[in-house]
Amino acid sequence: MYGGEEEDYEKEEEEEITQEDAWAVISAYFEEKGLVRQQLASFDEFIQNTMQEIVDESADIEIRPESQHNPGRATEYSETTYKINFGQIYLSKPMMTESDGETATLFPKAARLRNLTYSAPLYVDITKHVVRKGDDGDEDGDREDLPKVFIGKVPIMLRSNYCTLFQNSDKDLTELGECPYDQGGYFIINGSEKVLIAQEKMSTNHVYVFKKRQPNKYAYVGEVRSMAETQNRPASSMFVRMLSRAGAKGGSSGQYIRATLPYIRTEIPIIVVFRALGFVADKDILEHICYDFSDTAMMELLRPSLEEAFVIQNQQVALDYIGKRGSTVGVTREKRIKYAKEILQKEMLPHVGVGEFCETKKAYFFGYIIHRLLLCALGRRAEDDRDHYGNKRLDLAGPLLGGLFRMLFRKLTKDVRGYLQKCVDNGKEINLAYAVKAKTITSGLKYSLATGNWGQANTAGVRAGVSQVLNRLTYASTLSHLRRLNSPIGREGKLAKPRQLHNSHWGMMCPAETPEGQACGLVKNLALMAHITVGSAANPILEFLEEWSTENFEEISPAVIPQSTKIFVNGCWVGIHRDPELLVRTLRQLRRQVDVNPEVGVVRDIRLKELRLYTDYGRCSRPLFIVEKQRLLIKKSDVRALQLKEASESGWHELVAKGFIEYVDTEEEETTMISMTISDLVNARNNPEEAYSKTYTHCEIHPSMILGVCGSIIPFPDHNQSPRNTYQSAMGKQAMGIYVTNYQLRMDTLAYVLYYPQKPLVTTQAMAHLHFRQLPAGINAIVAIACYSGYNQEDSVIMNQSSIDRGFFRSIFYRSYRDEEKKQGTLVKEEFERPNRENTTGMRHGSYDKLDDDGLAPPGTRVSGEDVIIGKTTPLPQDETGSQAQRYTKRDQSTCLRHSESGMIDQVLLTTNADGLRFVKIRVRSIRIPQIGDKFSSRHGQKGTVGMTYTQEDMPWTQEGITPDIIVNPHAIPSRMTIGQLIECIMGKVAAHMGKEGDATPFTDVTVDNISKALHKCGYQMRGFEVMYNGHTGRRLYAHIFLGPTYYQRLKHMVDDKIHSRGRGPVQILTRQPAEGRSRDGGLRFGEMERDCMIAHGAAHFLKERLFDQSDAYRVHVCEICGLVAIANLKKNTYECRGCKNKTEIVQVHIPYACKLLFQELMSMAIAPRMFTKEEKKKVVHKKVP
Amino acid sequence: MDTVTSYTRFPTVRIRELKDDYIKFELKDTDPSIANALRRIMIAEVPTLAIDLVEIETNSSVLNDEFLSHRLGLIPLKSERAMEMRLSRDCDACDGDGSCMYCSVEFTLNVKCTSDQTLDVTSHDLISSDPSVVPVDNNLAQDINGFDAPEARGILIVKLRRGQELKLRAIARKGIGKDHAKWSPAATVAFQFEPEIHINEALMESLSLEEKKEWVDSCPTKVFEVDPQTQQVVVVDAEAYTYDEEILKKAEAMGKTGLVDIISRDDSFIFTVESTGAIQASQMFINAIEILKTKLDAVRLSFDTEEADDQFGELGAHMRGGGM
Repeated sequence: MYGGEEEDYEKEEEEEITQEDAWAVISAYFEEKGLVRQQLASFDEFIQNTMQEIVDESADIEIRPESQHNPGRATEYSETTYKINFGQIYLSKPMMTESDGETATLFPKAARLRNLTYSAPLYVDITKHVVRKGDDGDEDGDREDLPKVFIGKVPIMLRSNYCTLFQNSDKDLTELGECPYDQGGYFIINGSEKVLIAQEKMSTNHVYVFKKRQPNKYAYVGEVRSMAETQNRPASSMFVRMLSRAGAKGGSSGQYIRATLPYIRTEIPIIVVFRALGFVADKDILEHICYDFSDTAMMELLRPSLEEAFVIQNQQVALDYIGKRGSTVGVTREKRIKYAKEILQKEMLPHVGVGEFCETKKAYFFGYIIHRLLLCALGRRAEDDRDHYGNKRLDLAGPLLGGLFRMLFRKLTKDVRGYLQKCVDNGKEINLAYAVKAKTITSGLKYSLATGNWGQANTAGVRAGVSQVLNRLTYASTLSHLRRLNSPIGREGKLAKPRQLHNSHWGMMCPAETPEGQACGLVKNLALMAHITVGSAANPILEFLEEWSTENFEEISPAVIPQSTKIFVNGCWVGIHRDPELLVRTLRQLRRQVDVNPEVGVVRDIRLKELRLYTDYGRCSRPLFIVEKQRLLIKKSDVRALQLKEASESGWHELVAKGFIEYVDTEEEETTMISMTISDLVNARNNPEEAYSKTYTHCEIHPSMILGVCGSIIPFPDHNQSPRNTYQSAMGKQAMGIYVTNYQLRMDTLAYVLYYPQKPLVTTQAMAHLHFRQLPAGINAIVAIACYSGYNQEDSVIMNQSSIDRGFFRSIFYRSYRDEEKKQGTLVKEEFERPNRENTTGMRHGSYDKLDDDGLAPPGTRVSGEDVIIGKTTPLPQDETGSQAQRYTKRDQSTCLRHSESGMIDQVLLTTNADGLRFVKIRVRSIRIPQIGDKFSSRHGQKGTVGMTYTQEDMPWTQEGITPDIIVNPHAIPSRMTIGQLIECIMGKVAAHMGKEGDATPFTDVTVDNISKALHKCGYQMRGFEVMYNGHTGRRLYAHIFLGPTYYQRLKHMVDDKIHSRGRGPVQILTRQPAEGRSRDGGLRFGEMERDCMIAHGAAHFLKERLFDQSDAYRVHVCEICGLVAIANLKKNTYECRGCKNKTEIVQVHIPYACKLLFQELMSMAIAPRMFTKEEKKKVVHKKVP
Repeated sequence: MDTVTSYTRFPTVRIRELKDDYIKFELKDTDPSIANALRRIMIAEVPTLAIDLVEIETNSSVLNDEFLSHRLGLIPLKSERAMEMRLSRDCDACDGDGSCMYCSVEFTLNVKCTSDQTLDVTSHDLISSDPSVVPVDNNLAQDINGFDAPEARGILIVKLRRGQELKLRAIARKGIGKDHAKWSPAATVAFQFEPEIHINEALMESLSLEEKKEWVDSCPTKVFEVDPQTQQVVVVDAEAYTYDEEILKKAEAMGKTGLVDIISRDDSFIFTVESTGAIQASQMFINAIEILKTKLDAVRLSFDTEEADDQFGELGAHMRGGGM
């Protein structure tokens, strides 16, 4: 629109594509992938592969009868063994069984409304082998197949492959009561929508070397957190540490290198570990560490370690040395050696192998760790960066559920074994249908998803907050929530490093969108085009390497290692290769042809002579254009074909398959040269001398794709101060709009809907894919930046009352109340009805008049205050005496409207829940008209409350008769530097005048000058200033006012929900101090700082009034003899201290109730606090006390 | 009248353009305060009729009752009668239930969609009890455009889908824009101070043609023009000048301060009035003067009371002296 590149249609063939064309590619991406692909892909992987793998990896259950004496029962076989094997699993579509036994497919709408769980039954084939061994030793087999045994229900992610909505058309979705813009990616548990927040973790099987900050015992530490791929065990860490150069202490020659082994208490010298692994000779060992004997510096560093281990010169001694330091005490040497061997085999570096004969591989890997440590110690290589995103992995829904499912399935099999063992021991017939408790998995998964506590209930090591209730405030907040990720690092940690934006976040994490405060930088959001790998098997890669003459350790001598490149697959060193250039080229080629999974990461580290390949899940990657010979591989014709959708299969995947685009992960990104724009490439080609690089390998699709969902809504974010974009990213989630199209069919507990939402005049390109035009959250308000009457000071705004009258920022607020007829036992059941004062106790003081005969307020009823909207009673237990009819037979359990709210009953839903109990949801609606105190904000972190409303005639007007809707104070601009807002405003003016949308995409070549020129052509002052007239006096304003349309958002914070005052009111039962919080009509806290003020003022009486008289004043009677509380009968005017036999010397004392409470509590602990009102006399009191 | 110098001025009005819903006129020989008073009254105090009470019998549309009522309220109604009518709260002939000829007009709306196509419920569906008070329809009079022209379809209230129904009774009442914008008859009222532009010909001649063109183009609105024949800068439309001072700045930037002299006259105003259609724009102006007069009468009446005299003090004396 403004200075965009003009397309040249003449020589288009083989012509470079333009930045505009890149948007066609981006559109293709979002069309195919949507915005929650990471969630869906991860969950589908779990359903389609992981679940079966978990079932397969569980060993058969084998049961032998424990030899028990069973008199009178002789068996014909001496021994019977049962073998239970779990086979193929089957997952059905989500189903729901009603309480009457009827089963039907479940749709998400029903699940949400009826508080059901959207889950699908899981079945498994079980085979039972019964092997009877006769006395004579011959075996008698018996095999029984139990096909499709129900083992539990698995919650299904919406819009995943197993969801009933999968691949439904928009029309079908609408007919099913779903919003076609809703992208799924969440679960429905007991009617509430739950998102699994991606969890960040350090990548495993990765060697890190860190320099320790001195003074420290250690100078360098190398660490590996090793975890075998198919193992559900916490990672086994290994540390290899080099001691600091010895100071005064010890005096030994110093830099020993030692390693920690799992279950071994002390550190073991590395040479001992080598010897324990069977590499005894010094030369052998050094070969595994240094590879190159001519490297004297490195050899020298190893000398102290060699000397240290001089005394241990064979494997047995070394193993014994390790075994002695293990957890077993007082066992024989043989056992110790065996124990040590086992640790080395099974616990040390399990990802290299846990089988037998892994020693060579392990020694090489162990040597490699030391090698890396030494490289760092020699200063040949910098220490590793803990915060580099290549070293991070993300656990998404799939792996999270996988871990949970594995645990629950183990529990299930354990329970099955336990049950069967009992059956067998008792000589009963075994029945598998009884043995399999489907509840284990059903409720286990449900528990974690419902509470967010990942792991079994009441067990240690649970992570809280993994599953969260999906935010439905506005559509953008929903999307952003589905793309959120969390780093489980302590929030208290003062360390700033993990919170900072890292270079490697480019294109993966949104640089703007993060919360402020404790979780700043720890909670992140995915950038728009970030792709999280799902993970694939390493085998195809290993086979490929085999084929392409990779040499493994058995074939090579360590001496060749320095000349060749080490090859790692998922962190595990598999061999070496002598022509890495060719290998990498073919590997990349195959990946671009999709012969190798495009997700595979190929990292060639030339300096370290390493080739690292990754196939694991949870890596962050992003698509990039491939560049060869300074030219994009994608051509104009390809984009044209994409736009025209010529071939039916054309689309994003086609671009990937044709090798125009590839996914590059964070680690691989370090080995690429990426040009920022296409024009950079053209420049590099045309005048290579001035170009930044001559070796571009990739090109960004568009730099604005580094932003996330909320960041993409900001126009011109590249013209704002960066924290402002962060503020807007947080505020955009509180804006009102249309959060889903089916909001009328939903019963959300809280919902805000804007009356007349508008699509913004000034948009970014990315907004098209966020459906912001279809589901907007704001209004294009005419905004003047001016001082006018002073009612917009300190971030308040003046709003046009006439605009408000005409519907400006009017919104609807929905609140839903729910209740059900609970059952206690079989007889006692609650009932919806209109409670009757005659026979019901505990009636509320609100009005019951609004209820119908069924106990529910009908739609269209105006309700307010504490009106009862759901009438419900519980029967009271009948009195046993039965002498006369009880007055009350029921207790009131009604639900009242919140006391501070009012509105209309919008909708009533009466249904049954999963248990077949009557269940009701009532939605109350109220209209919120903007008023003084309501909060609004622009899209640039400029929030403000309404300070005054003026009618049209009082507003300043321009010669054209335009009056602003909002007047903001100019002081809000200079210190905050939100230039984006100003540019948005003038571009909005141009856009409105020309009837077009303004393009405010960041990192494009739109300039303020271009916009200004366009505005000038429209007949306005080029910088957006207008001459205005004072509405009160009719005089011209001296200052020229910056005026134009700016997109404003109404935020959910409104005065009517906050206004609160209290004279007297409810008190807490325990302390008799005023209750807390507006919802309880509580008091306003007179806190410590307020107290300090009063002390400073010397306003002692006022202080006493606040803290005592207005709080929990209380009166006690105290015996003057013992100082304890006495009995006072005020009616009879008698006072007595029984202990002192004192009826006369009693005084009245005013103390806070909390004080009295404390004294009583102390007394319960055998401490007697005594109150004396007179100065202590000489007489010894404590002798007389009772 | 005495020979004492009187402050009395006799403002004049010259109408330049007159349409049903638009009027442009000059108001001369008066102060900005009077001009502004008229503007404010036109926006906020000229009474009109608007739907104020809605009784909804059936509403199965997608919009809730409050939403519909708000939309109904904003429909402009032909309010020629409004000046004579009574405000509902001052009406002693009725109890405010709407069936009163002095203060209210009743409307009914009864629509049900029975076809598969969405049905637009518009202001045409509102049936008035008073033929003189009907929803504004700009195109009924000049029904020349095609039948389906969007303007001819009336003001959209809500869209109905098959099976949805809307049945209601609405009562329109008299009110003023100060209470709610729906009663405001004005879409917009604005005036400008008439500018006087004097070009310093001598200085202008020192500019080259290029410079002249550049200078003329620096004004966002078309105030000046370079005469193609004489190559002289002439004022083509002084009133298009918005006091944006762009040309002054440009002149200064060119080092020709004083190239043009612009004076804004504060006794001559050019009014632009646009009506919502509730009242004719001209009538709106006349009504505004009427209301201003009654307001002034109210002020004058209060002189008779003693405290008012004290209250106004010198101002009271001044106005008495003015003797209107």
